Amino acid sequence: MSDLTIRATTQLNQIANGIGRLLLSPLGSLPAFFGAVVVAIVTGILMLIAFKYTSHQSAMKKIRSGIKAELLALSLFKDSIAVSLGSQWRIVAGALKSILVSLIPIACMIVPVTLLLGQLSLWWQARPLQVGEDTVITLNLAGNEKSSWPEVDLEPSPAVQTNVGPVRIRSKRSICWNLQALEPGYHNLVFHVDGQNVEKQLAVGQHPMRTSIQRPAWNWTDVVLYPAEPPFDPKSPVKSIEIQYPPSSGWATGTQSWLIFWFIGSTIVAFCFRGVFKVTL
Amino acid sequence: MLTGMIGILAEMTNSNSTGIDRRTLLKGAAAATLGAASLGAASYWLGGVSRVSRSLGKKVIVIGIDGMDPRLTSSMMREGLLPNLAKMSSQGGFSDLATSCPPQSPVAWANFINGAGPGSHGIFDFIHRHPHEQCQPFYSAAETVAGQGGLEIGEHQLQLDFWPFLHKPAETILRRQGTPFWDYLDEAGIPSTFYDIPANYPPSPSKHGHHRCLSGMGTPDMLGSYGTYQYFGEDGPQKTVDEAGGKRSKLRFIGDTANCKLTGPENGFLKTPVPIVIDFQVHRDRSANCVVVEIQGTKILLKPGQWSHWTRLDFPLTGPSFVPTKHVSGICRFYLLEGDPNFRLYVSPINIDPSAPAVRLSEPTEFVQDVSKELGLFSTTGFQEDHKARTNGIFRDEEYLRQASFVLEERLALLEYAIKNYDDGLLFFYFSSSDLQSHMFWWNSDERHPTRSAPEAQKFFSHIKALYQKLDAVIGDLHDRYGSRATVMVMSDHGFANFGRQFNLNSWLRDNGYLNPHECTSIMDDVDWSSTTAYGLGINGLYLNLKGRERDGIVEPGAQEDALKDELATRLMAVQDVDGQSVIRGVYRSDKVYTGNATELAPDLIIGYRRGYRASWETCLGGLTPAVLLDNDSAWSADHCADALEVPGLLCCNQTIRSKNPSLIDLAPSILEDFGLKTPSSMTGRSIFST
Repeated sequence: MSDLTIRATTQLNQIANGIGRLLLSPLGSLPAFFGAVVVAIVTGILMLIAFKYTSHQSAMKKIRSGIKAELLALSLFKDSIAVSLGSQWRIVAGALKSILVSLIPIACMIVPVTLLLGQLSLWWQARPLQVGEDTVITLNLAGNEKSSWPEVDLEPSPAVQTNVGPVRIRSKRSICWNLQALEPGYHNLVFHVDGQNVEKQLAVGQHPMRTSIQRPAWNWTDVVLYPAEPPFDPKSPVKSIEIQYPPSSGWATGTQSWLIFWFIGSTIVAFCFRGVFKVTL
Repeated sequence: MLTGMIGILAEMTNSNSTGIDRRTLLKGAAAATLGAASLGAASYWLGGVSRVSRSLGKKVIVIGIDGMDPRLTSSMMREGLLPNLAKMSSQGGFSDLATSCPPQSPVAWANFINGAGPGSHGIFDFIHRHPHEQCQPFYSAAETVAGQGGLEIGEHQLQLDFWPFLHKPAETILRRQGTPFWDYLDEAGIPSTFYDIPANYPPSPSKHGHHRCLSGMGTPDMLGSYGTYQYFGEDGPQKTVDEAGGKRSKLRFIGDTANCKLTGPENGFLKTPVPIVIDFQVHRDRSANCVVVEIQGTKILLKPGQWSHWTRLDFPLTGPSFVPTKHVSGICRFYLLEGDPNFRLYVSPINIDPSAPAVRLSEPTEFVQDVSKELGLFSTTGFQEDHKARTNGIFRDEEYLRQASFVLEERLALLEYAIKNYDDGLLFFYFSSSDLQSHMFWWNSDERHPTRSAPEAQKFFSHIKALYQKLDAVIGDLHDRYGSRATVMVMSDHGFANFGRQFNLNSWLRDNGYLNPHECTSIMDDVDWSSTTAYGLGINGLYLNLKGRERDGIVEPGAQEDALKDELATRLMAVQDVDGQSVIRGVYRSDKVYTGNATELAPDLIIGYRRGYRASWETCLGGLTPAVLLDNDSAWSADHCADALEVPGLLCCNQTIRSKNPSLIDLAPSILEDFGLKTPSSMTGRSIFST
């Protein structure tokens, strides 16, 4: 991806972060399951409305009616192979047409939905550290094996205590620390890298918080996946910084399950409300 | 509600109209809905009632401290070092507690569980054998039975346990027989919760839903063993070596990184199961003298002498391509023994993950997950202190002590959970620390320790005393919280004794012409059964090579059998050490000391050693050594597998102990009596609260 795309995505992330911080802030205090249900309902309805206004509804209706008619023909003329085969072919064609008609709304929604998922992942992909809990933070340096090794140190902070480190993995150009969280809240860890200061956000708390697993490298995929913090400039001596947060639990908001829950939940909501909003899906 | 429905039905039937009007229909529907809801609520309430505790608030708390010795406890109480036990004793009582014959943990705990002796539960030693296989050993309390049938697809085998296939997958069965005393509580509606009760894996089911338990001693690790550590060192052997309780591998650094392989459980989908191996990397930073272990996307930073937290590992069980891959989860801890110059890394046995157990660890099944939700990850294997790592020289004494102290910390956290979630009924909690630390550090005499200097032996023995004090504080806390409202019992299954000299029973049998040929090195390999009349297996067991029972038996049942038993008993009782000291205190005929229906696998004679002696390491699994009596130079320098009279357990209770000679088998009847239940006929013990 070009620099321009990465810059544009970073800008979009900034907007999404602003909106996300505001609109998703109740997730920090709501019970996890309830929060996931509310998000699924709201996003399901919003996506439904967006679909209504970005799709060709009359064409959708026509395709749906055509499919219904062919289904009726199938049941009425099941003894006629020619009619059955023809109807089956037209049903398949109708389904393909409906996918084609849906491409425009999908194209319209793909960016906001991706941004939304990026914001939700900040809440549910991992849980914040708890006071007293320790974790590993890894700073990945730019360059290759032959590049010089910069001076790197982590600025002392009252929020954390360094248990082990810095430990250098020369083959991977990484430096690791084991840190213990001391104070709840959002903290900025400051690293001095050859005289430059770079920062990484750390979340410590008992309740759900926005956790930024990685401050990404100058890489489009990483920028999409880790939207909370701006990527490191390609000229920066640091490529990325990541924190090993513990996985979050719960079947609606767990690390392994939140995306499935959200997808199924919002789809069900959209189907349930399609009559209310008079949307043909 | 019912009258309302009847009224509406009456109104409907009395109606002169030919159809049902809309109003009536709505009324009927509303009434029916309410009726159904009421019925559902009533059923739920009734269901709830049946699960409600019927202990009427009665509380009994039993703290099982494996191997806590009454002699040491008494002397420390006299010195004022165990004030809480002393206080409880003065309120109720303190006594020796007669242990099982032989005094081995699985036997003793099964006695406690059944309220009756080994003849009722069929556990006679850590190790049993199937007579039809002559002497093939297996763990006495549980046995894994191979699966039967399966669909073979390429290199895979699928076992489908539903019709029409009805294949039988391999399963582990609990071999303890008889009725555990919690079944009587369960039947009476009295709740009971057991944390890590030994000799109960897989956990026995609860019929009425009032019994919960976490399985304890006997629970395997992910490799199906009773704890297999893995060691990676630059000083390791060229090829991975399996040693008793562990695997030792060589690790080579290329630059600052070494690639290693961690052995996991076998993939049961394969026709010939092979272990699943997880690749992991170790990165060493010599300047910082630290390493980063990178495994399955998780990084662990370790300094020399540092332990990691529990780390979750994922093992994919891949089957035929059309079958989704199954994943099982295990947990382990890493310990960096040394970073530089000789890198040495210890990986704990891979425990079954309590948050997603691959096999059933508790009753009900989800109980262990409930505990894990609150406590996080914790060890689940039966033997949590890694004594094998110590005896094989991976750990030094201090390192073993540290690992054992982690186990105790976990136990104390679990005890807090247990207390927090305890309302009434029976709460049983088990501590293994006193047993597995005593095996290594106990030495309560001025005699020469086989491997340590006298000051060293005393230093390590002081750890045992410190441990007793720690446990005393735990008991004090519990007594303060519940003493006035509950019956509190502290009990141990046996005591402890030095283990300075070892006796090879098979070598003795060989030297005395009972086991042949004279060059025999192991009864598993080169014994001549046609000229062998007796053999030793397990720690205290002696078996006759009996015709009709043993596959290659030669001893005629009846008169010859009786005569041989008496002859062996007499001659064994006469065995003396080089200094003239008697080695064996008692030899017991199982047909005289055991009663019950579960004696099929009992040894013919049970050897009761004097304090200071025990069966040799080799003889337990049928090995022979040139000498019959040897020094015990193992780090395992204390034991309890002696004569039952040498190593009684202890009982301390806040209620008066009326029985003069309480025994392990008396505790179950006592607990039942405390809840107002009669002693069942399956029990041979009698309540300690009755004269």
